[in-house]
Amino acid sequence: MKRVIVCYKWVLDGADIRVDKSTRKLNVEKAKWILNEFDRNAIEAGARIKASTGCELIGITAGVDTEESSKNVLSRGLDAVHFLNDPIMEGADSRTTSKVLAGMIEKLGGADLVICSEASDDEYAQQTSARLAALLGYASVTYVQHIEVSGEQIKLSRKLDDGTEDVEVADATVISVVPDINDPPIPSLKQILGAKKKPSTAVALAELRVIDRSSQLRTESVLAPEVARKQIQLTAGGVSIADAVLKLTQQLSSDGVL
Amino acid sequence: MSTQWVIAETASLAAELIGGARELQQGTVIAFVGGDNSTATSAVVHGADSAFTLPLQPGAMWEDYTYALAEKAAIDCPSLIWVGATKRGRSLAALLAAIIDCPCISEGKNIRVLDGRVTADRMVMGGLANKVVSTDAPTTIITVSAGTYEARASDPGRSGSIEVLVLPSAKVKVTGRHLRESSQVNLNAAKRVVGVGRGFVEKADLALAEELAKALGAELACSRPIAEFLNWMPEERYLGISGQVIKPDLYIAIGISGQPQHVYGVRDARVIVSINKDENAPMNETADYSIVGDLREVLPALSSAVSKVACV
Repeated sequence: MKRVIVCYKWVLDGADIRVDKSTRKLNVEKAKWILNEFDRNAIEAGARIKASTGCELIGITAGVDTEESSKNVLSRGLDAVHFLNDPIMEGADSRTTSKVLAGMIEKLGGADLVICSEASDDEYAQQTSARLAALLGYASVTYVQHIEVSGEQIKLSRKLDDGTEDVEVADATVISVVPDINDPPIPSLKQILGAKKKPSTAVALAELRVIDRSSQLRTESVLAPEVARKQIQLTAGGVSIADAVLKLTQQLSSDGVL
Repeated sequence: MSTQWVIAETASLAAELIGGARELQQGTVIAFVGGDNSTATSAVVHGADSAFTLPLQPGAMWEDYTYALAEKAAIDCPSLIWVGATKRGRSLAALLAAIIDCPCISEGKNIRVLDGRVTADRMVMGGLANKVVSTDAPTTIITVSAGTYEARASDPGRSGSIEVLVLPSAKVKVTGRHLRESSQVNLNAAKRVVGVGRGFVEKADLALAEELAKALGAELACSRPIAEFLNWMPEERYLGISGQVIKPDLYIAIGISGQPQHVYGVRDARVIVSINKDENAPMNETADYSIVGDLREVLPALSSAVSKVACV
């Protein structure tokens, strides 16, 4: 195992996104950029392989405003970061995203193992890992919950709907990891300070193979679902729990759901 | 006349997707189903014109059929490929989309076609918003979760050709499989569901929720951390965007904060109740009725009140 590449996404913090109740549109003005939560597991999986094999560990990302992500991810154990900022990533679908990332991996000269997380917090499309494998001609193993590297061979355990599946692969591989693969630690002060000395490189789209976006998915609208709930708080105004519980059973009976 | 494909790991999921494809437009529907001859026959009697079986082989991943499917797709040119959104199905869909170089809509709902443009809804931002996407690509792949479409009634008079798809050689070798012990839980069929969350500080308190579920004749379910991090309940009982998505008559969320990821799994319940000690828990806003209080006080009172009125 010489080189491992971790793909990560720099996303808007969903906790800071507000819904405008009259238009149902999302207001992202106050939302800060953060590391996609699932990607902490992907980076930690890479860091553990680096610790056991001494491999090179590179992070890559593509977006519109990703430069400040470097310090964050470098403090989590990556050796270097390559980031791409380009308008092509504005509203990019999984097809475009995976082509850009595949181009960045090709430019780096490939890898023995590419690690993605299960999905992104915002789109949750769960496509990037498998698409990358097909584009790069690598093997694809998704939903990995355990990794064991021995020499050129990787043993993996997958977590599927009906149970687990153990696999072995000796070729270059792209994997996606599930959140329970590890419990990523909070970076130490030493790691945070050390991150500033590590290299972070901007990559331009022009350096990659030309990407045709003609069949990109078109976004027609993004709106919060209509809330049609009654939102009755039965304990409001100091109503006791005993009374609230009685009221609730009456309501549920009259709604016909008991 | 267009050709649609349906690819699914199981016969029941295939039947739902075939139902969706038949409802959407006229033309040929070809099914590719995991299992054996009987699952392929099931696909035909549920509306497919012909079917291929993709049996799970001991040494290979199910997704390894993708390269054989890609070769067939180049000949058939299906306008729409429906893929059942199991974990293997999602992986196969993404691989196939990259090989064909076409768009793939993950977990689409409300799929419609107008003048060759496919439009679908999907949840984004952990369920905070509904995104409408469309494409006029010659082939579009769309993954669809169980419970999104209804299967047609089976018609034993239908017949169609059944073949076995040949599995191409692959780089990844499967060395073992461990089937999860099925606890026979079918949350999708439950009329009432009680869900527990991190508001339960001690595992012993789950007995209070079990008691309520028993009084209601409800199934017990949970949020992701209860199953995945605390291992208090089996994983097939967690509700949410990456777990089970249910549509019961009644859903009672106990000690569940109401992250969009969880709400995604229960938003189609007819009536939602939230029991939470935090008045500002987002779950209360997603509920029809909420009770703010300590679950150790609320649950025994509710169980006893329900046993008096419920006709279960």
